[in-house]
Amino acid sequence: MDDSRKANTGDTERLVKASQAGQRGAFDELVRLYQRRAMQVAVRILGGANEAAEAVQAGFVRAYLSIGKIKEPKRFENWLLRIVANAAISQARAAKRRAEKVEIGDHYEDKRTLSPAERQSAEELKDAIGWAMLKLSKREAKAISLSGLEDLSQGEVAEVMGCSVGAVRWHVFNARKKLKVLLKEYLE
Amino acid sequence: MKNEEENIDLLLERNADEQLAKVDWEGLNAAISSRLDKAGQSKTAAIKFPTVLKIAAGFVAAAAVILIVMIISTDGPPDFQLENGRRAVVKFIEAKGSASVEIGHAPAKSQVMVDVGPGRSKLARCDIEIIDVNGDLKEKANRATWIIISRPEPVYADNGVSRDWTGIICLF
Repeated sequence: MDDSRKANTGDTERLVKASQAGQRGAFDELVRLYQRRAMQVAVRILGGANEAAEAVQAGFVRAYLSIGKIKEPKRFENWLLRIVANAAISQARAAKRRAEKVEIGDHYEDKRTLSPAERQSAEELKDAIGWAMLKLSKREAKAISLSGLEDLSQGEVAEVMGCSVGAVRWHVFNARKKLKVLLKEYLE
Repeated sequence: MKNEEENIDLLLERNADEQLAKVDWEGLNAAISSRLDKAGQSKTAAIKFPTVLKIAAGFVAAAAVILIVMIISTDGPPDFQLENGRRAVVKFIEAKGSASVEIGHAPAKSQVMVDVGPGRSKLARCDIEIIDVNGDLKEKANRATWIIISRPEPVYADNGVSRDWTGIICLF
């Protein structure tokens, strides 16, 4: 269980209020409590830890700058996860655009022609997942990533995404369907 | 089908676990902290910036007002100097069959503001001569109950209507 799960809502609420009052130390504590959770989301969207770390940093900065906007401090986690997921998706798409500009779009294809043994490597898998996630819609990527989180119910995923539970199920279904095709070689 | 779904989930889970196992959490924490420090500085600057902007806007507004006053004061006819040294501003609002004159800031200027259209923007000016009044024209005081003014046409009237009287008598 990660640190954020250990933190009770009361602690989070207190820390959010203190952060809103300008106490930087309180926000640092929130970072410590929720950085693992944030990384879990980002790594599912981006595939790799380094890329996820960048998105998490950007997400925490955004959260810090807009902490005053939270009306319900006890919902900080869902609010943060939404910010991080958005940051991760934006980063993935920006990286894709950069890659297209310098014409390294075939980069992934080259890797995908590696031997099955090489393909099994962790680096290969994370690249493939990062590439496959880009083929999903934003909502599908968010839904499948958040649904994989431990202790996050579909209702909470729906809250993070700002849609109904039914919509979450639908996006997860579509995401799995696409990923099955895109990551077929890794499922064998 | 169910099995395939589970496989996808397991694959994503496996990758996430492998990637998260490599994370240097202390390093990440320090990196976030550093980014927050920079963001905090920008935030402070952003908070101060609007104040600077407000002050700048105040200066610009003041300069604009001064400029407008200068344009207005140089655009119209010269101040009318009464014989006894008094100056007068008479706001003249014309309607069909009637006329009224409003006196204000009497010692300050000697212009007549003539309403030549439906909007206040269509004010024209002309010099007037106060022939006689039944009371003193004092600054910010409208003590006169009647005034006789006489003057030629407005210096300019932007509705193009020519005025053919050279004298106006107004009684209050």
